Amino acid sequence: MVLFLQQLINGLSVGSIYALIALGYTMVYGIIKLINFAHGEIMMAGAYFAFLIAVSTNLPFVAVMLISMVLAAVLGVVIERVAYKPLRNAPRISLLITAIGMSLFLQNLALVIFRADPKIMPTLIAKHPINIGPIQVGTVTLTTLVLSIIFMVILDVFVKKTKPGKAMRAVSEDKDAALLMGINVDKTISLTFAIGSALGALGGVLYGITYTQVYPTMGILPGLKAFIAAVLGGIGLIPGAVLGGFAVGMVETISKAYLPTQWTDAIVFGILIVVLLIKPTGILGKNEKEKV
Amino acid sequence: MLKVENIDVYYDKIHAIKDLSFQVKKGEVVTLIGANGAGKTTILKTISKLLTPTQGNIFFEDKPLNKLTADQMVYLGMAHVPEGRRVFAQMSVEENLQMGAYIRKDKDNIKKDMERVFGYFPRLKERINQPAGTLSGGEQQMLAMGRALMSKPKLLLMDEPSMGLAPILVQEIFNIIQTIKKTGTTILLVEQNANQALQVADRAYVLETGKIIKEGDAKTMLNDDSIKKAYLGG
Ligand SMILES: Nc1ncnc2c1ncn2[C@@H]1O[C@H](COP(=O)(O)OP(=O)(O)O)[C@@H](O)[C@H]1O
Ligand SMILES: [Mg+2]
Repeated sequence: MVLFLQQLINGLSVGSIYALIALGYTMVYGIIKLINFAHGEIMMAGAYFAFLIAVSTNLPFVAVMLISMVLAAVLGVVIERVAYKPLRNAPRISLLITAIGMSLFLQNLALVIFRADPKIMPTLIAKHPINIGPIQVGTVTLTTLVLSIIFMVILDVFVKKTKPGKAMRAVSEDKDAALLMGINVDKTISLTFAIGSALGALGGVLYGITYTQVYPTMGILPGLKAFIAAVLGGIGLIPGAVLGGFAVGMVETISKAYLPTQWTDAIVFGILIVVLLIKPTGILGKNEKEKV
Repeated sequence: MLKVENIDVYYDKIHAIKDLSFQVKKGEVVTLIGANGAGKTTILKTISKLLTPTQGNIFFEDKPLNKLTADQMVYLGMAHVPEGRRVFAQMSVEENLQMGAYIRKDKDNIKKDMERVFGYFPRLKERINQPAGTLSGGEQQMLAMGRALMSKPKLLLMDEPSMGLAPILVQEIFNIIQTIKKTGTTILLVEQNANQALQVADRAYVLETGKIIKEGDAKTMLNDDSIKKAYLGG
């Protein structure tokens, strides 16, 4: 039982990282119907930004995290402007292939700049165990979970209560109608990339700290899992990304604890396939028909 | 207030609007009537810059619109109630109305104008927190009109507000158009329902396959035999 509770908390922590990354996938999909395959690389870039700031300055963790998020947001917007915006009226498949190309480009760029060998992420969060009753939780695990939840709450309030947040929802529902309201659709799309990238970078920073390593291909696997999480929850839906992220993290951690590790990914993918067979639009997705 | 001069609009090779000109004066209600596929929606979309004409000019209060984009139109004082209502289905009634007031900063007056919209359409107030997608077709039309009014437009463009509605609702919608007219808002109304449209309008243009084939006083047209035959069911 204690082991199970322990794993539960670890699962929540890993899941919160997946959820943060999944939010970027889902927000971008929601607004331009693109699976942004370069999103895993934004996450990787976020981790490198944190690494670079941490080794070259004495800034505290929170500052390192926030600066990395801002830099990744800028990177995300630049990618959108340079690679995706010119293709907005092109067939969807062109956009998708561009995103795959962008993903490979960023991986190779990181390879050229930083080399393939993993860099050790400095200890940004002092590591010591905290006892909660019979369970022991690491500071990194707890910080990851708490920070993720804080940013998810901020995002939720932003999207539901603020004017740019509502504009974002309006644009993702109907671009022409949004234009008629006077909403600047281009700016709103850029803002979506900025926020999605910042959250993905936060995921990358936390992932780098959790596994103490940063390397050019580090975005691939968590990116893929986060993508699965987004689809599992219902692509395009913010609560779906959060739910899917936690679900994937949880399944992964708990299956690792009780089964040989080789099984983990098979189980995660297996669950995805089963869920999609039963509910193609994901757990929270609605099989909506448009009203005429 | 609105002057459309010799515009041509294409969808790829389809020549939808052909060398078309008309105008709307301040305070007027003008209707463009025409059958399905005549080009009514295309004209309204071109005026709000969702489409670009290949030829010709459009002026709003003597300003040419050719360099402007669709999201700037509402700042000039234009509001467009699109065909098929196009409410934001997953947003609440209140949020839809807030989106209508997106460009405004005067919070207190926005509240007052929302009450005014609820005065026109009390049913929207009862459903203020409901997602717009769960409203009936008639309620969505009311919301689309309310949303457009929230920007306090000088010119209101309306694309077939009666489309797909039960006769009693059509009457209700046209009564509100009459009320809006009395507030001095200039209206360009596009309709297949020529009877209702001509009753509320001051002037009318008849559109056929992208061309204006007739124009004149709306009341005169109501009694015009050829119009009666073609558009008013005999
Ligand atoms: N998106 C489109 N692509 C191609 N042709 C279109 C498109 N929209 C409208 N058309 C064509 O343009 C003409 C005018 O259409 P429209 O403006 O929608 O007419 P109305 O609103 O009067 O029913 C029609 O022949 C229609 O088939
Ligand atoms: Mg039409």
